[in-house]
Amino acid sequence: MTADATRIRSLDDPTLFVDTPATIYDAVPPYPPRSEREAEFYHLRDGELLINLGPQHPSTHGVLRVVLKIDGERVVDLDPVLGYLHRGVEKICENGDWHHAISNCDPLEYVASMFSEAMPVLACEKLLDLEVPRRAEYIRVLAWELNRIASHALFVGWLALDLGGLTPILYSFIERDEIVEMLAALTGQRLLFNYLRIGGVNGDLNHEFMSRLGDWMSHAAEQLDNNQKLLNENEIFVRRTKGLGTLDRETALRLCMTGPPLRATGIPYDVRRAHPYSVYPELEFRIPTREEGDSYARYQLHLDEARESIHIIDQVLHQMPDGPVMAQIPRLIRPRPGRAWIAIESPRGQYGCFAISDGSDQPFRLRIRDPSYFNLQAVGVLTPGNLIADTMAIMASLDPIMGGIDK
Amino acid sequence: MSALTRPWGHLTLAGKIILPLVGLVIALTLLLLLGVATGVIPALVLFGGSLVGANLPIVRFIVAASAILLMTVPTAFVIIYMEMKFIAFINMRLGPNRIGPWGTLQSTIHGFKVLAKEDFTPTGVDVPVFTLAPVVVYLSAVMTLLVLPFAPGLVGVDMNIGLLYFFGIGGLNVVGLLMAGWSSFNKYSLIGGLRAAAQVISYELPLTLGVVGVIMLAGTMSLNQIVLLQAGSFLDWFVFQQPLGFLIFFIAAVAEGNRAPFDLTEADSEIVAGFATEYSGMRFGFFFFAEYVAVFILSGLITVLFFGGWNAPLDLNPLLNWAGLSVNTGLDFGRLGVGLLFLIALGPVVGTLLLALPFWMLRSDWSVLKSLVIGFLLFNLLIMGAVGLYLAISFEAVVGLFWFIAKTYVFVFVFVWMRGTLPRVRIDQLMGFAWKWLLPAALLNLFVTALAVITVDAIR
Repeated sequence: MTADATRIRSLDDPTLFVDTPATIYDAVPPYPPRSEREAEFYHLRDGELLINLGPQHPSTHGVLRVVLKIDGERVVDLDPVLGYLHRGVEKICENGDWHHAISNCDPLEYVASMFSEAMPVLACEKLLDLEVPRRAEYIRVLAWELNRIASHALFVGWLALDLGGLTPILYSFIERDEIVEMLAALTGQRLLFNYLRIGGVNGDLNHEFMSRLGDWMSHAAEQLDNNQKLLNENEIFVRRTKGLGTLDRETALRLCMTGPPLRATGIPYDVRRAHPYSVYPELEFRIPTREEGDSYARYQLHLDEARESIHIIDQVLHQMPDGPVMAQIPRLIRPRPGRAWIAIESPRGQYGCFAISDGSDQPFRLRIRDPSYFNLQAVGVLTPGNLIADTMAIMASLDPIMGGIDK
Repeated sequence: MSALTRPWGHLTLAGKIILPLVGLVIALTLLLLLGVATGVIPALVLFGGSLVGANLPIVRFIVAASAILLMTVPTAFVIIYMEMKFIAFINMRLGPNRIGPWGTLQSTIHGFKVLAKEDFTPTGVDVPVFTLAPVVVYLSAVMTLLVLPFAPGLVGVDMNIGLLYFFGIGGLNVVGLLMAGWSSFNKYSLIGGLRAAAQVISYELPLTLGVVGVIMLAGTMSLNQIVLLQAGSFLDWFVFQQPLGFLIFFIAAVAEGNRAPFDLTEADSEIVAGFATEYSGMRFGFFFFAEYVAVFILSGLITVLFFGGWNAPLDLNPLLNWAGLSVNTGLDFGRLGVGLLFLIALGPVVGTLLLALPFWMLRSDWSVLKSLVIGFLLFNLLIMGAVGLYLAISFEAVVGLFWFIAKTYVFVFVFVWMRGTLPRVRIDQLMGFAWKWLLPAALLNLFVTALAVITVDAIR
């Protein structure tokens, strides 16, 4: 028995002295394993080590916690622990009326909130069989595509930051800032826009927005190319992303992945074309795909999509009709009882919403399908066998947003 | 004179500071006069002089060591400021611009900040090792400065095995990093420490082998001699005879200093802060300073080995002589006689007035005093410039120091530039690069250099 002074005070109970406080720092959960998988994962073989990546870690994009089982530098297995950002959005939406649901859904995809806030809007419009004015539809497409570029620009920066590059993230933020300022002129907010309304949008295009948009359009494509120069031919970047986290089509489909990670495997599934909504059938655009399915393909695909979005914005500006931006609907909305499923293409894939109405002014159920959640599943398939540093490259290339994953 | 008549409590802050100082100066002057009059001070000076003369090597070593220790902190401050500002410009930001002119004092404030922070030891750490680790890392960086020749005659210790000493002491820093990683009781630190061990030891080989070519050409390991051998124009620098050696050495130096793109030991997006995760306050500050001092030292070593050290790229004196602009550096003030007195007495006054006159005449909104202050400052600047120029022409040390610092900071800038633009390599790529590419290239360089040396000798 050693003297108390030489032993270490426990962090759990300051009156207690323990031989080693090691257990309190371990990633092992404080309860007995709940499943065979958990029992297997938290059983360490010789030379293996568990490390906690998150929930507070520089590169887990929010509060994702991933428990890595490593053998030296190599990741053997991993266990993502979700729920640190859980707010119960779906339940909260049931307690307010349909209009409240818009702002509740806003922070789900917080870097591209124009998409998540469209969920209750589009679902309610489908339940109401509402005809939205064409100008409003065009403005929505304009806002969506702008927000998509803002989100994709940030993706490039994040990927580079997680690979250790300091500069691209700031270039990305310069590009994103222009768009965000533009949308702030339109909506009044920089992050959570709360702009879409059931039956239209909150306000018509204004002068400041149009002038900022004109400024930005004059150099958007050029700026995109310039920002990408720092990474595209960078030997270190290419070597670290090419062939890393290669996803084949079957796995991607089996994991219900959508959006850029799926299209990077060569499957041209884009909700804008597969299940057209809004005015996308009237617009001409390509669905870029890549065959390789690795991190580099995902990175290239994001850039291609941003270019297509610039093309779409160009067309929208040319085809924008005149007219009202809100349909004539009553303030108190009571959709008929029924169910509706809507899906749109967010920067991260298919953002879907299954809504049930019981005839009251509140949604009876609002189930939101967040693409990040399904895309993040691929981390478990792709990471084992790679190095610790690759975990970040893979995770960043899947571009998860924790707001939507934890809901 | 009102300060003397006022009670202490009614003085302003400036008065409270100045009055004791004035008293102190008067007391010291009186003491000095008394000492000289009684013959105590001349005796002390003589005794001290003989003591110093008897133990010159020891005194020299102590002075050099203290000067180098004192030099590291401002050097680190300058490089940290450079890094903040240059990376900000690369990022299209403004960078630090609040503290001091153009934010130049920002890094000083950072230094004071880490000093003022709590000296925190987390639960579970191995306390003695945890405490010693920053010291080891810092000292290994600082001690290598001892053999770096800054200018002719301005070198801590001119060892004949300077380069060997450099690598020997510089290699110690991996011990410190490993100590920090092991003792921190943190898995990120552990990974960082082990990465440091793997990386630094692997790159030690190409680092040393890359220089062997230079050693063979120079025939000595004394850094001072290596610099002397490169005297002449810039074509005599070893970089032109050892381009491959320079490339290998530079890449290995970046890895050795744990700088981007090889900063895996503190890869913030992977292992938080690596070996420094659990450190805070001045303990972290030591790691931080050591990193930047290491950047300076490695840049300095690159300069010394491959870019001629303190030699000027072109010797300007023949050119000046040819143009008939030769400067008489043997200016003797004693020959001026009474003129010297006039120069000292009237020069500053007349100069200040002359320089203040245009301001006073042109800026009607400035008071006479303001013009005088500006004139005085300008006069001082001019005199300082003139004295500096005089020293630069006649003192080799000053001009040598200038060239050494200028060349070194070019490489410091390259280090910073790389940090701003490149992503980080992966650990397997890092090790593969060292063992598969750098080491064979270094051996090839060694072989070719040896062959060339033998051939040249045979021809002669």
